[in-house]
Amino acid sequence: MQITERQIDDFKSDRKDITPPLPVVLRLVPLLFYCSIAVAVILSSIFAIQFQFAVQKRDNHKTMTASLGAQTQDTRSQRTALEAQIKKATDIQNWVASSRPLQPLLLAITRSMGPRSSIVDLRLDRETDNPSQIKMNLSMGTDSTKQLDLTVEKIAALNYRAFSPTQTLGRGELDYKATLVHQDPLGRQNEEAPR
Amino acid sequence: MKSIDLKSILNFSAFRPEPDDPSASWKKRFPAERTVFFGLGRTALSWRAINRSGTPGELESVRADPKEILAQSAEHIKPLTDRGWCAVSLSTRYVVSLETNLSRRSGSEEMLKSNARGVLGGRYERGKRYALTHNPETNSSILLTFDEDQTRKTESMFTEAGFRVGRLCCGAYVLLKHALALTNTVKGSEQPLSTFYVVCCEGAVCALVQDQDRWLELRSRTDVYEEDLTPITDLLAPFHSRLGPDIGITLVCDEPMNGLADRLGKVFINRTVTDLSQPALLATLMVQN
Repeated sequence: MQITERQIDDFKSDRKDITPPLPVVLRLVPLLFYCSIAVAVILSSIFAIQFQFAVQKRDNHKTMTASLGAQTQDTRSQRTALEAQIKKATDIQNWVASSRPLQPLLLAITRSMGPRSSIVDLRLDRETDNPSQIKMNLSMGTDSTKQLDLTVEKIAALNYRAFSPTQTLGRGELDYKATLVHQDPLGRQNEEAPR
Repeated sequence: MKSIDLKSILNFSAFRPEPDDPSASWKKRFPAERTVFFGLGRTALSWRAINRSGTPGELESVRADPKEILAQSAEHIKPLTDRGWCAVSLSTRYVVSLETNLSRRSGSEEMLKSNARGVLGGRYERGKRYALTHNPETNSSILLTFDEDQTRKTESMFTEAGFRVGRLCCGAYVLLKHALALTNTVKGSEQPLSTFYVVCCEGAVCALVQDQDRWLELRSRTDVYEEDLTPITDLLAPFHSRLGPDIGITLVCDEPMNGLADRLGKVFINRTVTDLSQPALLATLMVQN
């Protein structure tokens, strides 16, 4: 004979609205709920940490950008100053390159004076815009144009070509004005002709 | 869906049986919850705390009118529980009898609650509650009968004291079924068992004679003994002449009773006494089943 021990017989008054327990499989619902909360907390923590890092990185970038901006400004200022210096140097270089020694010219003009001629006033002007051109104002004490021809000839001998020459003769003085441009002896004209 | 339903899903209580669901075991109904187990006699009330792991605690017992004890000690006992849930073993005002030719339709033992008349037929009485154990090899059955008014009064007594009754049962009947299940383990009638079951529970005594798997005689009395064990042997002594020569004695008590096995050995000479009693046996069975 086999008698199995079943559940204990209960004589308590039964409540009518006793509901059976939910199926075990539905335990997944609260489990998933708690898992989702845990995942949300973990992800939020990760995002919060990453956000802190991102804010720190952004601040670093801002600081770096400001620093680089200041450096750029300094560099620009230095570049502007350097460009100004370059321009100045270029001007000087142009001046030096375009200028020619005026002493031989002055010497040639002086030596071209005859016994009855003298230089009253001699001006050689160079404009900063066009330094290769020399504006010459020569006042000579002479009574003939031969002296002027001789002087012009000496000037031409130094490879200077006179443009727009004007001469005025009166009361024993001869005023001569011309724009001198140096000519390359090999025939190359490296200077612009006067306009 | 109410917020309480949502809460019950989130704390997983919706997946456990309700505390007063009789179809579920005590352990499943109250996992990790402290409860208390009462033993109710005619003139005594005992209680034992059951901790969160389901282990019964020390037994406390007071001999007086149970209603008065409960009224006086409720405030002392209630802190032993988490929510006031208790199980009650009634050891008085019940009848255990041996019946024959009861309905053996499948599920008849479970059907007793809903349709007792259909199972018991002419033996059914209005205003009673029944429990039934069939002998699988013969047409005899053990029938436990409780007065419905008595169970209601017991329930209201505990409710008034601030407890919530999760189970109301008969301790002696539970122990008798436990002894039957422990000893009758071989299916079929090839190894029939003969023994004399003696069940003692909080003053109640139940004796059943089983001869070759047949239940021959059953005697049940409540409020038989208190401290002195002599009334037990006096009650059982007449069985000596009626027992077959090879029938031993199987003793089951809710608590091991010192000297009872020896006394039975003296009354039932030349018969072996097997004592299945264990400390807090009834409380342990209550928790496990």
